[in-house]
Amino acid sequence: MANVLWLQGGACSGNTMSFLNAEEPTVVELITDFGVNILWHPSIGLEIGQQVEHLLHDILNGKVQMDILVYEGSIIQGPNGTGTMNYFCDRPMQDWVRELSAVAGYVVAIGDCATWGGIPAVAPNPSESTGMQFLKEQKGGFLGANYTSKGGLPVINIPGCPAHPDWISQILVAIATGRIGDVLIDEFHRPKTFFTDFVQTGCPNAISFAQKVDGGFGKRGGCLFYEVGCRGPMTRASCNRILWNRQSSKTRANHPCLGCTEPGFPHHDLKKGSVFKTLKYLGFLPQDVPTGHSRLGYYTRAGVEKVMGKMEKMLGVDQEHFETSK
Amino acid sequence: MSTVKELNISPVGRVEGDLDVKVYMENGVVTRAHTQAAMFRGFEKIMEGKDPQSGLIVTPRICGICGGSHLYCASSALDTAWQTKLSPNALLLRAIGQATETIQSIPRWFYAIFATDLANKKFANKPLYAEVVKRFAAYVGTSFQKGVTASGRPVEVYALFGGQWPHSSYMVPGGVMCAPTLKDITRAHAIMNFFRNDWLEPVWLGCSIERYLKIKSWDDLMAWVEENESQRNSDLGLFVRASMEFGLDKFGQGVGKFLAFGTYLHKDLYNTPTIEGRNQALISSSGFFDGTNYHTFDHFKVKEHVKHSWYADVPAEHPWKEPMPTPMQSQNLTDTNFDGKYSWSKAPRYDGYAAEAGPLSRVIMNANPNNLSHQIQDPLFGDIMAKMGPSVFTRTLARVHEAPRLYEMINQWLSEIRLDDEFYIKPEERDGMGFGATEAARGALAHWIEIKDGVIKNYQVMAPTTWNVGPNDEQKNPGPIEAALEGTEIEDPHDPVEVGMVARSFDSCLVCTVHAHDAKTNEQLAKFKL
Repeated sequence: MANVLWLQGGACSGNTMSFLNAEEPTVVELITDFGVNILWHPSIGLEIGQQVEHLLHDILNGKVQMDILVYEGSIIQGPNGTGTMNYFCDRPMQDWVRELSAVAGYVVAIGDCATWGGIPAVAPNPSESTGMQFLKEQKGGFLGANYTSKGGLPVINIPGCPAHPDWISQILVAIATGRIGDVLIDEFHRPKTFFTDFVQTGCPNAISFAQKVDGGFGKRGGCLFYEVGCRGPMTRASCNRILWNRQSSKTRANHPCLGCTEPGFPHHDLKKGSVFKTLKYLGFLPQDVPTGHSRLGYYTRAGVEKVMGKMEKMLGVDQEHFETSK
Repeated sequence: MSTVKELNISPVGRVEGDLDVKVYMENGVVTRAHTQAAMFRGFEKIMEGKDPQSGLIVTPRICGICGGSHLYCASSALDTAWQTKLSPNALLLRAIGQATETIQSIPRWFYAIFATDLANKKFANKPLYAEVVKRFAAYVGTSFQKGVTASGRPVEVYALFGGQWPHSSYMVPGGVMCAPTLKDITRAHAIMNFFRNDWLEPVWLGCSIERYLKIKSWDDLMAWVEENESQRNSDLGLFVRASMEFGLDKFGQGVGKFLAFGTYLHKDLYNTPTIEGRNQALISSSGFFDGTNYHTFDHFKVKEHVKHSWYADVPAEHPWKEPMPTPMQSQNLTDTNFDGKYSWSKAPRYDGYAAEAGPLSRVIMNANPNNLSHQIQDPLFGDIMAKMGPSVFTRTLARVHEAPRLYEMINQWLSEIRLDDEFYIKPEERDGMGFGATEAARGALAHWIEIKDGVIKNYQVMAPTTWNVGPNDEQKNPGPIEAALEGTEIEDPHDPVEVGMVARSFDSCLVCTVHAHDAKTNEQLAKFKL
């Protein structure tokens, strides 16, 4: 059994929408069968206005136990640190969050806005948005680098734009069923169980990546890393292992991975030439190389692969692996 | 959770940001209402000076509910600016994305957001109340979980072509990223078929889609309800009967002017995208209905006012001429002076008028007798508007009425995809002005872009919620929700469920708080999350 309060700050509700897509368990099953008691949620909570305010006060003065504070959306601190660009129950949302975090059993930040500031925090960051305990890669964020909840953990970050429903529901179930001890977190406070492997793990184009075969929009087969900016090899997430909406994933639908579970998202701050294009040195060397490779090492190995591939093609070696059918 | 006590509450709100509404009442009637959007993120400002394609990534994330619609606009705006070519396959796959997002929203919105209000104790003395509670009560209602779970199905189809829902960027200038295979198409048909057999026909309609689509007038609809037990007791049948019994057709009229940008660009009529050619190429037509006459939609007639918005004053302008907004100091509701600036929302006007955006506007345009042969021709809401006018009921009926037709269209479009043909035609990037628009589930959505020196110089987004929740304009004319609230009778000022239902019938994508005040003493009577 765990009491959950879910709040939204500088949010688009995308994580809530993603959460509502969940099956096994569905949101309703989570509540009725898994002991997750949602004290309030802006979209599916039954309580209203004053009752919510009373609930918040009851939590703060200890009358109601809040085991988990789920926060979706950025912490809006503007203008000039006042937070008045985001009022909630007549107060800046940031004031509520600061007080509630002090009494929460665990704090779970859901989605990129809550974890690292996300798109609202892209320069010039008009709303002075930050994440709960990070601003982009920088530790600290709103609650500070040293924050730990009553349960003894820092903010548990479930990034993604949006987060996958299973990442959310499984962490909630883990806490509700007393398995929090099995939740290991990495340097960016992400649960390792979801964020150790790369998006490339399970990508059907992995062989094209290995053999340096280019893909592109509107084409079947080929790897999107070389021309259209896919970040699958440097993004930790289980998108290609558990799939989205039970069907697919970005890279399975020929959509370059945007790297949205990494704190740099949107990478290169959307600067000219960075959107759906691979940024390159000298016009042919990718600026971002797969995690775990040095640039020099990667260029050398990739160069050999590329040259070998071309040679084999010239020699008439059948390259059946790279062709895919309608 | 989930006891009868909790169901007595008028709850629900929903989604994305905060909206406060200040309502003044006299003798139980709302005399004045002001809407206050209470959150600012500055997404337009973020795109200034960035890569011209930034809108494909940034704008779907304005709204997690309408992300596919934002993507439809963002890619269309770039199509017109870059003068791309679009293949029939690309237009079909974009339309399928838009339509699956919209049909998803119908059960999700109806059950999770709207129908729980029907279980409010206000209606406890009505004969149908017990059945409504049994069916629609949050979490425990027999249709609640079924409907919310079913809503996840259509976006599985979106995921087959876009990778995921929400927040894909698969629509790009020149077409789409994906090149589906046979198994994607057959799978998509199978998922939609499941959606129909699992919810749409047995739970929602109580009849076949074909039977439902024969309804052409209000009398037809009434006859359909009473035709047999299955239709009478379907969720739609119950909703219609309960709405009439509970009087939902009696309040929430609004400004009486309707605006739709239209959507679903026809696969063979928009292969060379231009702003001028857009109206003719739409399958769901655009237009402005002033209460009597239909007018052709012209995006140059749109202007945004900021006199009562927390942005530096500039004269009302067309989005291409508007500067990026400069935020000003905001106040909480208690300290707000409503003669001055009072909302983060701007006030868009069409030809000088506040206009309602949403499914009702859309189905009114579907009833336009001048619609072309490839456009939806459905006289139902022409008849309903003439007989009953706008209300909480008509607005909600319009929303749910679209489900059967969307199902048919999605299936047809899937069958028209040619696997051997192109999905993407690489465009040439250039500077220029662009305009892209669509109908999000909750109404007219448009993006205007200006690209200069290879980066975004100006980007303006106008969402349906901006149309509906916007504040007063320069001439002190109220926005549609403000207007719809005026005259609403409040039975219990400490539980003004009527106010919530009016706001929710517009499906504003904001979490709303209603603060009810006595018009004379200004005493705060109640404050509600909607």
